[in-house]
Amino acid sequence: MENEDKLMTEVTLNQARELIQHLEDGNVEKAREAIDGLSQIREASLFVEVGKLTRQLHEALTNFQLDSKLMGIAAQEIPDAKERLNYVIQTTENAANTTMDLVEKSIPISAKIKVDAEELSLDWERLYRRELGPGEFRELAGRIENFLKNVSSESTELNGILNDVMVAQNYQDLTGQVIRKVITLVHDVEENLVELIKMFGNTDEYEEAQKEEVKTSGVEGPVIDETRDDVLTSQDDVDDLLSSLGF
Amino acid sequence: MKILIVDDFSTMRRIVKNLLKDLGFNNTQEADDGQTALPMLQQGDFDFLVTDWNMPGMQGIDLLKNVRADPGLKDLPVLMVTAEAKREQIVEAAQAGVNGYIVKPFTAGTLKEKIEKIFERIEGN
Repeated sequence: MENEDKLMTEVTLNQARELIQHLEDGNVEKAREAIDGLSQIREASLFVEVGKLTRQLHEALTNFQLDSKLMGIAAQEIPDAKERLNYVIQTTENAANTTMDLVEKSIPISAKIKVDAEELSLDWERLYRRELGPGEFRELAGRIENFLKNVSSESTELNGILNDVMVAQNYQDLTGQVIRKVITLVHDVEENLVELIKMFGNTDEYEEAQKEEVKTSGVEGPVIDETRDDVLTSQDDVDDLLSSLGF
Repeated sequence: MKILIVDDFSTMRRIVKNLLKDLGFNNTQEADDGQTALPMLQQGDFDFLVTDWNMPGMQGIDLLKNVRADPGLKDLPVLMVTAEAKREQIVEAAQAGVNGYIVKPFTAGTLKEKIEKIFERIEGN
């Protein structure tokens, strides 16, 4: 920019000197040409200025776009994301409870079938050993008939419960969609933050921070990063570590 | 056999309770963090403690340390069931005197195996 300005001044000065020279010489024709040349220079520098202004305007507009996007993220999308994640907690909790309700409902049914079958097979063995009197046999036959009827209706009930257990897993579809939206938001926030860093901060520091290895201490819940070597990934590894400690 | 189950998530308490029931342990009570659990342990005649690590209020590791420091509770068998799986944490729990350590997610088989192992050891001593 500075060089451009300097050059422009020099050219203008030269042209002005020429104009004076022509006027002193009384050469009107040449003097007119020099005046034209000077006005061309004025136009050219005007263009440069307009160019500068345009660039500034463009930058201001880009910054403004970023600002308004961040505004939207902070004012709308993040509160919305919190609500979405709470929905995920609620929905998964409901599904877990529904599933456990159904399992708890089915356990006594299958336990009863097991007890009845065990009792009947004991008496059935007595029959094979010819230990049953005629009255006892009639009673056993009645119990077997009842058992068969019950098993039929109870397994129908169990089938129904298992179907409900299956349907209760549909939360996965809903929570999956919600979480995917939140991931998109996190991605947008990241992009905007990087833009901000580029505009106002230090890009080198950012790149350095990217390479840094994060060390966490204390509780942190399930660790998802499989590349971390301070975390054990299976019960077997935990058992091995404990046994190396004398457990 | 009276067992206290400590976890801040009710679904996890329910899972553990049901698995214990399946193993024949019907007498269970629940607490949602160490702060609630400790007075229950001090007042009740519990035989076994199953606890999570990461909880609001008092964490599982501090509950374990408190139990070991309490003359009335110091021999109570403690099984930790937790998502915390850092090497240093498992070492810390071992040093604090945990009797078993299960990482989440876990299976019914693992819970059964660890509980049996803990009782075998206690009976062996």
